[in-house]
Amino acid sequence: MTFPVTQVIFEQDGIFIHPSTDSSEFQDSLTSGFLRILDKDSSSVVQWAQCPGDGRHRSVEQQQSYETEWDMVNTVSFKKKPSTNGEAPERTSGAFLFNVSDLKTIKVKTEGWCRLTFCLKEHVTLPDLHFHQGGSDSFLDSLRGFLLLTQSPGDQSFLVVSSQSKALSQSFENLLDDATFGLVQKFKNDPYTTTLGGFSKVTNYIFDAFRGPEMAHRQRPAEEVADLISEAIPGLEVNQQEEPGFEVITRIDLGPRPAVWRGEPVSAEAWAEHIDAEGRVQNVAQLKEAVFKGGLCHAARREGWKFLLGYFPWDTTREERKGLHKRKTDEYFRMKLQWKSVSEEQERRNSRLRDYRSLIEKDVNRTDRTNKFYEGPDNPGLILLHDILMTYCMYDFDLGYVQGMSDLLSPILYVMENEVDAFWCFVSFMDQMHQNFEEQMQGMKAQLIHLSTLLRLLDLSFWNYLESQDSGYLYFCFRWLLIRFKRELSFQGVLRLWEVMWTGLPCQNFHLLVCLHLFVCACLCALCEDIMRAHYLYLPQFPHPQDLPSSVGEILGFHADSEQSKLDGSEFGLLDSPQPPRRWHTQDLGEDFIPNGNGHLRETHDVYKLAYIL
Amino acid sequence: MAAKSSLFKVILLGDGGVGKSSLMNRYVTNKFDAHLFHTIGVEFLNKELEVDGHLVTMQIWDTAGQERFRSLRTPFYRGSDCCLLTFSVDDSQSFLNLGNWKKEFIYYADVKEPDSFPFVVLGNKLDVADRQVSTEDAQQWCRENGNFPYYETSAKDATNVAVAFEEAVRRVLAVEDRGDHLIHTDTVNLHRKPRSSATCC
Repeated sequence: MTFPVTQVIFEQDGIFIHPSTDSSEFQDSLTSGFLRILDKDSSSVVQWAQCPGDGRHRSVEQQQSYETEWDMVNTVSFKKKPSTNGEAPERTSGAFLFNVSDLKTIKVKTEGWCRLTFCLKEHVTLPDLHFHQGGSDSFLDSLRGFLLLTQSPGDQSFLVVSSQSKALSQSFENLLDDATFGLVQKFKNDPYTTTLGGFSKVTNYIFDAFRGPEMAHRQRPAEEVADLISEAIPGLEVNQQEEPGFEVITRIDLGPRPAVWRGEPVSAEAWAEHIDAEGRVQNVAQLKEAVFKGGLCHAARREGWKFLLGYFPWDTTREERKGLHKRKTDEYFRMKLQWKSVSEEQERRNSRLRDYRSLIEKDVNRTDRTNKFYEGPDNPGLILLHDILMTYCMYDFDLGYVQGMSDLLSPILYVMENEVDAFWCFVSFMDQMHQNFEEQMQGMKAQLIHLSTLLRLLDLSFWNYLESQDSGYLYFCFRWLLIRFKRELSFQGVLRLWEVMWTGLPCQNFHLLVCLHLFVCACLCALCEDIMRAHYLYLPQFPHPQDLPSSVGEILGFHADSEQSKLDGSEFGLLDSPQPPRRWHTQDLGEDFIPNGNGHLRETHDVYKLAYIL
Repeated sequence: MAAKSSLFKVILLGDGGVGKSSLMNRYVTNKFDAHLFHTIGVEFLNKELEVDGHLVTMQIWDTAGQERFRSLRTPFYRGSDCCLLTFSVDDSQSFLNLGNWKKEFIYYADVKEPDSFPFVVLGNKLDVADRQVSTEDAQQWCRENGNFPYYETSAKDATNVAVAFEEAVRRVLAVEDRGDHLIHTDTVNLHRKPRSSATCC
């Protein structure tokens, strides 16, 4: 199946070739021509040719439209890449044309204007192109839609093409060959729900490679994977031989966001309707779905959270829970007594306990102190916070107390208003978050890698920008992830977001999508204050779970064959967040102030304002 | 040269709860919030100032103090021009840990000449009534560890905060001048002779 259509991806005229002394082909003085990137037949080519008489009619507007909305559609229509081995580029009357997959390096030289030199495979070097009227950046940007260009470590003026064309063509073939061929069609009808699905196919190669040699039939070169990992986490030892490699991913513009609405919060009455005569919760899946779509009314939270967090099993009777509660109460106070009964003498010889206690005391004083539940000097809420955290140290002494835990406990205690219940709910929450707090913070590292991967697939140019600012590690998302947006939203917003996340719908790692969403938000914020002040947090549009096969699904933690896959993706929508991101008002601090930001984002670029929401 | 603003990276290190974020916020925004959240991860603020005729943009990096966050904060040490070692005068443990902080910084910042690297030591929470660390002990530590300047500060009532940060800038400038001077002296010898002979004649 082929698409013998030629599409112009980039076009600009007024690009010059200067007379060359060593080649008789370019004997004239300055030759003006047009430069194009074309989708020709089934591959993309770069073409330079002398301006024909009417060449000047090519308008600048056309040149701007290279980022056509549905580039992905164009790109996935590559059925087959033509054989490129050793084919010399077409060169007639000074004009040249080459397949982008033959490109090896581009030398960028700026001396008043920009000059690009293309070097192809087989050491073919093409005549320099002189951008006397500018436009080299947009050309390179367009090219980046097809290729991953990275600066050569040795010489910054060299851009090296990092794509493995073989892996690339294989990717696209796979995109089309298997059952998801319908992707292209879906795209036209429903871009939102199809986009991530399409991306997921590409990610698949990354994560298949992670799994090791048994997946060799689809494995990516190991060094690419190594790069990917080591880029995400410095200090991780990965054998790195070549330039970071990744395949061709085109830019996606999703167009206008379809309208979506949140459901009503589940009321205490509605919750009670799900409880049978003996106290078992009925239709759990349906209930979770309702919570996912609308959250819980505050009155239903104290009961609901115990189930959502797993402190109370869904299928227990009221009697069983009474017994459970009694056992858990005894267990709690037994552990509480353990640290309570440590004498000063003993503590002097126990530096770990001493350190935990000292830090807990300091942090309790610095957690949600403007919330009524914790404000003022001798608020009983503070003592409860302290005691529960100390008891948690006895529950899990290896982990002990790590900063961030007080942020995770505070909303739970606020809802439970009960020491024992809050403790056990916190224990359940910590079970989910444990890896993030462990010594090596492996959980955090893995999540930052995943997030970086998702971002790279979602918006390569933004990802490239962050990378160029040394921010590819996404360290500035650390806090978002560690304490699940606790300090990014209002207190009430946190309660809502957390209960939605605890449903485990639509996938275990839903919070990574929330992160991506915050990126999008941040960019919108940078562009439009009004949107920022609209006091809404939009959750990302989520594709139909069936359209999310393995990889992205894997990152996000989808479970195959679970009831979740029945969820209708189009219904996930707005999460009403009562306040704009924290510390938005920066005017009084001067223009250069980047609140709580990450130092890597300091360039004057719209995206740097990302830091505002941190 | 004096009109050109240069960017200095200054990093605040010290145990959790000694007041690193409060010092930074007091200096940059001149505000104090006793109930400020503890820092998770790494944050920074910029502040422009003029020291001895030099326009400087100081980028102050604030880090999470807990040991567990080491692998997160250490990548940010590189490229620092000055390190502010911070403890709290009402917390002797935080004072005892100064040496570890210094070591960690030198190791991860990959400082070429640790002996001449500009450190400034801050003893914060001067406003608190019951001190555990005496001025003398702190001064002695500073003398023995590289003659670091020592300031007793209070982020709460702003005592010595601006002075301490300005001192950090002076230290950085001094190191740079020393560098300039070294290059200078090599060439100056040639120039000095005619000049001195001119005054003689």
